[in-house]
Amino acid sequence: MKDASRAKRKADLVRDSASHPDAMIELRGVIKRFSNAAGVFTVLKGVDLTIKRGEFVSVVGKSGSGKSTLLNMITGIDHPTEGQVVVNANDIYTGVSESQRSKWRGKNLGIVFQFFQLLPMLTLLENVMLPMDYVNLYDFDERPKRALELLKLVGLEAFANKLPVLVSTGQQQLAAIARAMACDPPLLVADEPTGNLDTRSADTIIQLFEQFVAQGKTVVMVTHDPSLTSRTHRNIILSDGELINEAISKALPKLRHRHMLEFTRLAQTRVYQAGEVILAKGTEVDCFYIVKQGALEQYQAGEFFAETELLRGEPSAREVRAGKMPVEIVTLPKSDFVRVLNESPITAEAIEQIIQRRLAVQQATDAFSK
Amino acid sequence: MTSTILELQNVNKTYSTAAGDFVALKNINLEITAGEFLGVVGKSGAGKSTLLNMLNGVDQLTSGEVCFQAEGERLSIHQLTEDQRASWRGKNMGVVYQSFQLLPMLTLAENIMLPMDLSNHFNPRKAKERALELLELMELAEHAHKLPSFISGGQQQRVAIARALANDPPVLVADEPTGSLDSVTADHIFDVFSQLVEERGKTIIMVTHDLGLASRFSRSLTIVDGELAEAQTEFDRTMLRRRK
Repeated sequence: MKDASRAKRKADLVRDSASHPDAMIELRGVIKRFSNAAGVFTVLKGVDLTIKRGEFVSVVGKSGSGKSTLLNMITGIDHPTEGQVVVNANDIYTGVSESQRSKWRGKNLGIVFQFFQLLPMLTLLENVMLPMDYVNLYDFDERPKRALELLKLVGLEAFANKLPVLVSTGQQQLAAIARAMACDPPLLVADEPTGNLDTRSADTIIQLFEQFVAQGKTVVMVTHDPSLTSRTHRNIILSDGELINEAISKALPKLRHRHMLEFTRLAQTRVYQAGEVILAKGTEVDCFYIVKQGALEQYQAGEFFAETELLRGEPSAREVRAGKMPVEIVTLPKSDFVRVLNESPITAEAIEQIIQRRLAVQQATDAFSK
Repeated sequence: MTSTILELQNVNKTYSTAAGDFVALKNINLEITAGEFLGVVGKSGAGKSTLLNMLNGVDQLTSGEVCFQAEGERLSIHQLTEDQRASWRGKNMGVVYQSFQLLPMLTLAENIMLPMDLSNHFNPRKAKERALELLELMELAEHAHKLPSFISGGQQQRVAIARALANDPPVLVADEPTGSLDSVTADHIFDVFSQLVEERGKTIIMVTHDLGLASRFSRSLTIVDGELAEAQTEFDRTMLRRRK
């Protein structure tokens, strides 16, 4: 019986890479290998990722996890070894020459780096005008006006005619952002944009990104700073060249990346139709359940359930059903979950706190209904 | 015959801050001879970068004069309008900074062509030829069509030097150009600068906090609290210590 239910679960697996009609970025099976004297090194190991239009996404991961390579795939700066990258409805690598890609990049992408790459011999205004000159967008006379508006947007209009060396590093980064927005791209990609700045300047930059997102732009930002990831819609974690299942990182945020990766590899995803029973009352709980997408009657996406029964070896205390819409559930095998929890006291403690809180709520509800 | 290419006379620079006036440069008098490799050594905050900004005409001086002399003409650069000064700078001064500021979406050759496009000194075909020649000079010809992220930090700095040379300026100013490089790479960059002085007759002014480099310049000066002194190694150390 157990084997049959496992087989059914496997048959129902859904792929993360499902095409989305309003996708701004889609990576399908992207593999990137580098060869050097020491041999072949795989930096991205089959990445499937969809980022929707208007999303504000942070990308985190340890040094060497493949973050910058992932960005280079999206910006068309580097080529995937295998797989497909679609950005703003363009397959950017298939049958596209370097110069076509360069032109496409100029119109579709704004790029901001940790070190600002302003040209030292040009004023801030001239630096901001540069991409318009390159792509030949906007009338010649309109360019300085537009550049000044962008500098105004980032609060630098008073410094428009200064050379970069005469303004602070925070101001240089703001000017670099104004330059990235010069051709009004629908997508802004930023690699550690606040890595070199004090907290206040970093905050100004995130506010600016939030403003772009509110206007419908898509922003993808690599960062090390956890205080910034909390401000994005979505946080993507890369570990050893693989994407962490976002349901797992959301439900168990304190887990080490290598454990998240292990769980990602073990995770099975299953879709339940509206109202369908996910876990019947009184049955054995043999896996850890996380809501990936959609909502149950009691739980939202990113929450887990039946953890108390799982950890205490008890049968399920209540029936759990899908809500009014279909839901996606991620499950992890009990033995692996318990083993990792033993190696990760912080996560174990966090789960215990949630168990205690839920038990207290349950007791209060039971007392009330009596 | 040696001739003076840049001359600073009684240059003072004071910044007004909320905490009061801050004197960044005090009565600087300095003659720089064409073809010399001048090093200005000093600690952080001593006034090194301010001095370069005065030489470059990037920042306004509070009092004094900076004169540039070439081809029998003498130009007081702070008397020029902003536009005239930008045009003078584009033609005569190449700048190299600690971080290389190459545009990430342009190839190395395109990065070097950029100042030529902006100054209109060379037609597009000539600009491309010249960019490739400069990359050859920096021993980077085979990377000409790569983007900056695919070469090392030392190679990026050599591209930045090539870009500074794009319009063939007689003077290069460099602000801690080896500051973010490892010592072997830094040494190589230093050799590149030395060669430009010896073989191409460029005048180079470099500021650095690294006292160990002092002996490698054809002349080195020390700057402490906005004041210049001739470098004699032991004396420098005493002077720097005195201000700690």
